[in-house]
Amino acid sequence: MTYAKEKIMLNAIDKKVLKEVADLEGLPKGAYNIRKNGKLEGREVSANINIETNEKGDGIIIDIKPGTVNESVHIPVILSQAGLHDVVYNTFIIGEGSDVTIVAGCGIHCGSNESEGHSGIHEFHIKAGAKVKYVEKHIAIGKGSGKRILNPTTKVFMEENAQAQMELTQLGGVDEAKRFNEAWIGAGSVLLITERVMTEKEQSAESKNEITLAGTDSKTNIVSRSVIKGSSSQDFYVNLTAKARCYGHIECDAIIMDNGINQTIPALRALHPDAELTHEASIGKIANDQLMKLMTLGLNYDQAVNRIIQGFLR
Amino acid sequence: MLQLQNITFTVPALDTGEKKAPSEQTIINDVSFTFEKGGFYAITGPNGSGKTTLAKLIMGINTLTEGKIFFNGTDISSLPINERSNAGIVYGFQHPARFKGTTFRDLLSISLGSDDEEKLVNIISRVGVCSMDFLDKPVDSKLSGGEIKKIELATVIARNPKVAIYDEPDTGIDLWTIGPMVDLLKREQKENNTTTIVVSHNKTFLEAADTLLLIKKGKIAYTGDLEGAMPMLEDLSVCAFDDLCQGEDNAKCYR
Repeated sequence: MTYAKEKIMLNAIDKKVLKEVADLEGLPKGAYNIRKNGKLEGREVSANINIETNEKGDGIIIDIKPGTVNESVHIPVILSQAGLHDVVYNTFIIGEGSDVTIVAGCGIHCGSNESEGHSGIHEFHIKAGAKVKYVEKHIAIGKGSGKRILNPTTKVFMEENAQAQMELTQLGGVDEAKRFNEAWIGAGSVLLITERVMTEKEQSAESKNEITLAGTDSKTNIVSRSVIKGSSSQDFYVNLTAKARCYGHIECDAIIMDNGINQTIPALRALHPDAELTHEASIGKIANDQLMKLMTLGLNYDQAVNRIIQGFLR
Repeated sequence: MLQLQNITFTVPALDTGEKKAPSEQTIINDVSFTFEKGGFYAITGPNGSGKTTLAKLIMGINTLTEGKIFFNGTDISSLPINERSNAGIVYGFQHPARFKGTTFRDLLSISLGSDDEEKLVNIISRVGVCSMDFLDKPVDSKLSGGEIKKIELATVIARNPKVAIYDEPDTGIDLWTIGPMVDLLKREQKENNTTTIVVSHNKTFLEAADTLLLIKKGKIAYTGDLEGAMPMLEDLSVCAFDDLCQGEDNAKCYR
């Protein structure tokens, strides 16, 4: 089923949001599903990628045929209606041996004093030998004083020898975020997660992660980069459980600026004698030697801080 | 050109619990010296003598306790690091900072004031010791000691400094690269008339310098050529702690 493109009317705000969350100048190439204010705004499927509304009607099923390579799916969400709290449940089935990129993300434009929010649950079934890159960006813009709330949940089930790279980014504007990531990694599969979060003012962000290395020779690397400005707070939890011969690493770094506060709690649980699990965590201000270096290259203090943060959140 | 006028740097002394212990420790003690334009200087001396501190005082990383520094006739004593850098003084760290996410390309672009690919490649060819595939490497803890020192060197040269200060540039560098590194600094000195100051214990650098400054206990103990410094350097190489390392409780010293 193909929806006629001319039906889709993107206004200036929509375009700005799309640009921010999905780096799109207009409608994307390939398969897409644009959801706006809780309703379907536009959809395009391809020969290999099907998108349909699920039975309950609370989300979509994205079905990628086995062997699909070099294709992408964009599924951005736009929220600009005051008082709306949108909830969706999307399921991705990534066929055997495929190699695809999925660009998701939610942009809130808040123009009033009423709160707006989006809770998206994304469930991934990654079949044997499949490779997927998942890019998810969350932003909130607009001059309204209403709270902008984003509560994303990601559930990942990986069969054997699959690869998934997930980039989860929230760079400012979101008042409250509660993230939950859950993953089950099969034999020979590799999951890489990079989470980048910047909070400011009175914002708060929480990220909880339950990752299970279930199959022999499964691997994961979980990277969290947090910048906590103003009086904001961020909490990062990760439980990494190993049930087989496997390798897992957690790296969480938080830079505190102004009066920000942070909790970082990485936990490693080896339930198999051949599990190899490591973690490194650090919380602190911007390192003085980094600032000094950039200042010897001619940047003033504020410029040096900006460059360090830019690199850190890249 | 770069004139140090009676510069002193003190830090609060460690509390040893002794009543008569001094309240501060002098690291650089009333040093005066003038670096001439286009000269090649080596600063050497025993560990803890104040070599790095002196270099950092010139860059503004450490703040003078007393005295003044003039650069081309202007008093720069109270200028912040970046303004000294913009005036033409650049310092290559002994232990370069390691970042997260920031790449060599980022540092080089900042240093050069441009991210133009051709200009970046030109700098790398000019420096020679850095491989082109370093460019997109993050400058983080995964780099080896030698790699990060080469990157440090390139970021200093990319600024086309009037005064380049290199703090132990050979740390972690393989033996085969030290020769080319000295040649590079000599070439930069000759072609761009860069006043070059190298803090080093390495004989290759000491031999390359026109003038050697020997620092001992925060003071300049000698200035002149290497030959003239040899008796003092040899004297310094004799251990003064011999009597502490004797007796039943200590390992015998074989020096």
